[in-house]
Amino acid sequence: MKLDEQSQPTPAEQAISRRRALKAIGRVGKAAAAGALLQPLGLLRAAAEAAEPIRIGVLLPKSGTYAVQGSHGHHGAQIAVDDFGGSVLARPIELVWEDEPSPQTSVQNMRKLIEERKVAAIQGGVSSGDILAVMPIALRRRVLLMATGPNATEITGKNCNRYTFRVDLPNRVTVRTVYPTLSKHGKRWYFVVASYAWGIDAYNQMKELLVKDGGTVLGYDQAPLGTTDFSSYILKIKQAAPDVVYLGLGGADLTNFLKQFHEIGLTGKIPISSPIVNDSDLWAAGPEAATGTFPKLWNYTGPYNTPLSAAFTRKFTARFGHPPEVEAWQDWFGATAILTAIKETRSTDSAKLVGFLETHKFVGYKNAPIYFRAWDHQLIQPTLEVTVKPKITGKYDYFNVIAQYPRHGMSLEAFFGTPEEIGCRLGPL
Amino acid sequence: MDAIVSQAVNGLVLGFLFVVISIGMSIIFGTMGVVNFAHGVFFALGAYLALTIRPITGYPGLLLLAPLGAGAAGMAVEALLLRPLYGKEPLLGLVLTFGLALFMEELIRTIWGSTGYPFDGPRWLSGFIQYGPVVLTRYRMAVLAVTVLVTGAVWLFLEKTPYGRIVRAGSRDPEMVAMLGINLKRVFTWVFGLGTLLAGIAGVLAAPLWSVVPSMAESAIMPAFVVVTIGGLGSFAGAVVGGLIVGVTFSLTIQFWPAASSASMYVLMAIVLLLRPRGLFGERWERFE
Repeated sequence: MKLDEQSQPTPAEQAISRRRALKAIGRVGKAAAAGALLQPLGLLRAAAEAAEPIRIGVLLPKSGTYAVQGSHGHHGAQIAVDDFGGSVLARPIELVWEDEPSPQTSVQNMRKLIEERKVAAIQGGVSSGDILAVMPIALRRRVLLMATGPNATEITGKNCNRYTFRVDLPNRVTVRTVYPTLSKHGKRWYFVVASYAWGIDAYNQMKELLVKDGGTVLGYDQAPLGTTDFSSYILKIKQAAPDVVYLGLGGADLTNFLKQFHEIGLTGKIPISSPIVNDSDLWAAGPEAATGTFPKLWNYTGPYNTPLSAAFTRKFTARFGHPPEVEAWQDWFGATAILTAIKETRSTDSAKLVGFLETHKFVGYKNAPIYFRAWDHQLIQPTLEVTVKPKITGKYDYFNVIAQYPRHGMSLEAFFGTPEEIGCRLGPL
Repeated sequence: MDAIVSQAVNGLVLGFLFVVISIGMSIIFGTMGVVNFAHGVFFALGAYLALTIRPITGYPGLLLLAPLGAGAAGMAVEALLLRPLYGKEPLLGLVLTFGLALFMEELIRTIWGSTGYPFDGPRWLSGFIQYGPVVLTRYRMAVLAVTVLVTGAVWLFLEKTPYGRIVRAGSRDPEMVAMLGINLKRVFTWVFGLGTLLAGIAGVLAAPLWSVVPSMAESAIMPAFVVVTIGGLGSFAGAVVGGLIVGVTFSLTIQFWPAASSASMYVLMAIVLLLRPRGLFGERWERFE
């Protein structure tokens, strides 16, 4: 495995690249004037190629429950493009953002990105249902898919494929990050989860841990994605009086739940958790309604941040006026990984990019080298346990980072599961 | 049984919120024949205006001013965009309001940003009250009071005032009303303003309960369509009854089969349409035949 610092062009390199492109165009003009017969054709092609942007498809929600995450993710990817000075292989980088509102439309937009926009790779995906729907297209069309935001275990488990990589944490890992803390409150739990792949998987993963540990499921409700009014669910929870409420809800759904949980006066009285949390969900809920202990892939504050990620926070805040939420980091990293692969392989061929990503270690992003595991394409990384601050004073500063996982000497590889536990069988390139 | 009573009451309160969202849409359709796809955006606009003026006016002030803002925006939209389409293909109004919904959502995103905003209800309305099995939050009781008052006021306006009579007459036979010397253009502007004002009131009331995000329009428009279709397009009583039925059905489905809660209102709509295609209170209106 290669072990190097983030591979990004220096300003000097960028200047050289631009000079080269200008020279190429200049040469075309000179050669045509001289009437050379063969040279101009090749040079014209080179010049045209130099002007042709390298397009990266971004498949993130512009509407619906996860629209806010989509916007933050896109912003994160923009910072990665800025980091590369806007170009790679002397060609401008262009992000092409298509909506990810549902599995059906995501499939159409994935095809559009590949067939019409000729993207070199695609990144994004907040909803696991959408990513599970587009993964077969990535495999069939042999195009790199960098799934930055979905959590369903099967994405890098039994449904894994050679062209799909995942940045976000699988539910298998997220449940293990918070269970030790949550189980201290008691083992009679109530579950409310979104009624699609991610929520149902989160329930199954956490229920397995709970039941093995002697716990009881007091209630299990599936809520359709995009539910606005959770008051009827909360009435059922209030009646059941559980020790912990575990929510497989995200985006605006989580915000709605927290607001209505607060409205009935249960905030702080029953501990809350979720398989993952986005900062923007809690920013929207507000300091009074925000509550819970959550697993988190990254946080812009806390003792485990690195200088490189802190620099990302500074650039993001300077450009967009507020600090980055976790989705922004995920898409920043996802775009950086794709662009690094393009730069290092000097190619946009997805097969070569896949080969690179399977062997490269990214250093400086977290306080341990992180990498996509070669046999399941899961990003192997430390994860955080966070809890909402008892008193929130900053508009965007909601979390205390209380621990980093894995703990107690457990290795990262073991924490993310063994090949037998994961069940991924990657096919050939 | 306790759980059913508790959920039914909770559903009634939610239903009244649906009623306020829907009656505006129903009045607009009944009077002008316009299916207002942008109704949800005026709901969102009410919430966002409330967010902006809250630091200046406090809660009582914004309950008045934010809906007035949404109503004024509605009047401007009617005068500038919808008016040229009267007397033309009805589909044009539908396409225009659909486009307007997308445009205004983007406008909200541009002005206020895509990240949601916290919005708590008044502190004196926090907590809940329990009557036997029924648990109701103070805020929802306040919502119930406001929505009942608003619904009653709109009914009084339509039924008991000369302006209401003009609106009702204009919805049945606009040509005859125009022949009586009434400026229907102006009436239409005020009616659209009233409809969007009601959407704005619902937006303000919903802001402490639902996420204040640009896409919140979506969470209002679909129930509104379902309610208006169940009740009968253009019918005031239909919107009220439809809203309450949808609210109660939604809550009771969560008690027994939560995963089907969103689908329940569409199933209800399908059943009503099969049995009575004009909706529960829909009448045969000559101008729409």
